[in-house]
Amino acid sequence: MRVIINGKEEYIDKERLTVSELLKEKKVEMPETVSVQLNSSFVRRNDFNSTFIKENDKVDFLYFMGGGG
Amino acid sequence: MKHWGFSTKAIHLGIDPQNNHGATSIPIYQTSSFAYSQAEELAEVFDGNRFGYIYSRISNPTVTAFEQRINALENGVGAVATSSGMAAIFTVLFTLTSQGDEIVSSKSLFGGTFLLFNRVLSKYGVSVKYVDILDPESIKNAITEKTRALFLESIGNPGMDVPDIRKISEITRAKSIPLIADSTLTTPCLFNAKEHGVDVVIHSSTKYITGNGSTMGGVFIDLGTFEWESLDNKDLKNAANRAGSEMAFLNVARRNILMNTGACQSPFNAYLHCMGLETLELRMEKHCSNALTLAEYLESHPAITEINYPGLKDNRFHKIADNLFNGRYGGLLSFSLPSQKQCFKLINRLKLIKNLANLGDAKTLITHPASTIFHECTEEEMREAGVHEGLVRLSVGIEDVKDIIEDLETALGEVD
Repeated sequence: MRVIINGKEEYIDKERLTVSELLKEKKVEMPETVSVQLNSSFVRRNDFNSTFIKENDKVDFLYFMGGGG
Repeated sequence: MKHWGFSTKAIHLGIDPQNNHGATSIPIYQTSSFAYSQAEELAEVFDGNRFGYIYSRISNPTVTAFEQRINALENGVGAVATSSGMAAIFTVLFTLTSQGDEIVSSKSLFGGTFLLFNRVLSKYGVSVKYVDILDPESIKNAITEKTRALFLESIGNPGMDVPDIRKISEITRAKSIPLIADSTLTTPCLFNAKEHGVDVVIHSSTKYITGNGSTMGGVFIDLGTFEWESLDNKDLKNAANRAGSEMAFLNVARRNILMNTGACQSPFNAYLHCMGLETLELRMEKHCSNALTLAEYLESHPAITEINYPGLKDNRFHKIADNLFNGRYGGLLSFSLPSQKQCFKLINRLKLIKNLANLGDAKTLITHPASTIFHECTEEEMREAGVHEGLVRLSVGIEDVKDIIEDLETALGEVD
C-alpha cells in the first residue's frame, strides 16, 4: 500500500491497517505524545485503534517539542 | 496496561527497562540539552516532525517519565510538570487567559493561590471573580462571555469545604468553559477527577505525591474532556489547527507558557516524584485512617471549639466527600481554639508534630494559617477562605497514631 508519511512516499506491506498499527509498523517514537493527521484531519487518540489507513492516504506524525504524554 | 490497578500503574509506567539498560528505577537525565549529529535532525525536531528532546526547560526524559506516570493515573491526554504547584496553576491560567479575560474561582483557596490571583493575574488585566463554590446560582451568575475557566480546590485548604464537583461540572459544561481543579489534597488516589467532570486537574507534587517533604514540584493533566477550539482564545485556536484540538491546550501550555517563563521541573525532582508515586496508595490509606482517628479524638476534646474534617459523620460535607472520594477523606484537617494566643501555646508545646508551612508529608505538621500562609492576605481575603486567628491546620502524617494523639493531648492540656 502506498502512503505519504510526513511528506515522503512509503510502501507498507499490508492491505489495510489502523493508525495504532501504523505507529507500531513505523516504530514511531513516544506514540503517547504524537498527534496524527490523516488527510489533513486530526485523529483523536481514542480513535487510533478504529481508524484505518487506505491506499494513497497522507499521514503526518506531529510532536509538540518532545513533551510528556 | 489500561486494566492495571492504581498501584501497578504507579509502580510500572513511565519507564521501559528494555530501553534503559535494564534499569527498573527511573534514570535521572541530568542534562540541560540534547545533541544531534545532523543539523537536519534537530531542524525536524523543532518543526515537530520528529520526536526528540532539545532543552530541559521544555522537556526532559526523566520529567517525561513522571508526566506519563501521573497522566496514566489520571487517565488523561497528557501532563506537563512544573517547578512547583504554584507554577502549575500559573501555567494553566496563563494558557487560558489574555488581558481582559475573567476567571471564576472558589473563594475557599490556598493562600498562595489567592496571592497569585490578586497580586499577579490582576496586574496583567486578568480578573478573578470569587464565588461561594457551594452555591450553584452564584457560580452561574458569575460566568460571563469573558470567563475562560472555573477554578476550585477538591477540598478547600484550609477551609476544608468540599464542593459538589459533579454538579458544578454540569454548569461549566452548559456554559462551555473548562473546569480546573486543584486536587493536591486528594491526589489521583482519592479523587477520580475525570469521572467527576473536571477538565484539567492540578497537583502540587511537593505534597502527598512525593510524600516526605523533600521536593518541590507541580503538574497538570489535560483529561481530554474539553473542546479547546471552542474557547474564545486565539492561541488555543491556532494550536488546534497545528496539533489538533485534543492537543491544543498542552501545546500552548508547554510551547507558549512553560517554555517562555522557564518554570520547568528539574530531572532530580521528577525522579523523586516518580518514587513517591510508587507508594502513594499505601501512604494515602494511612494518612486517611490516621486523620479520621485524630478528628474523632479532637471532636470530643473540651479545648476545641470547632473541628473541620469531611470524614466525620456530622460534618456538612461528609456525604459529598463520600461520593467524590470513595469513602476516604484525606490527611488534612483544621480545628479552632478560642484565640491566636492559645493556638501559639499549643504549637509551642508540641514535641513530635512539626510547626511548618507545608502539608502532605509523612511527618505530622501543624500550621497557624492566619500568621503564616495567609500573612500577606487582607482580613477579608482570610475570612473568605475560612481563615481566622483561632484556626489551626493539621497535616496528619503516617506515624503511629497513638504517638500523634499523645503529643496533642499533652500540648492541649496546657493550653488554658
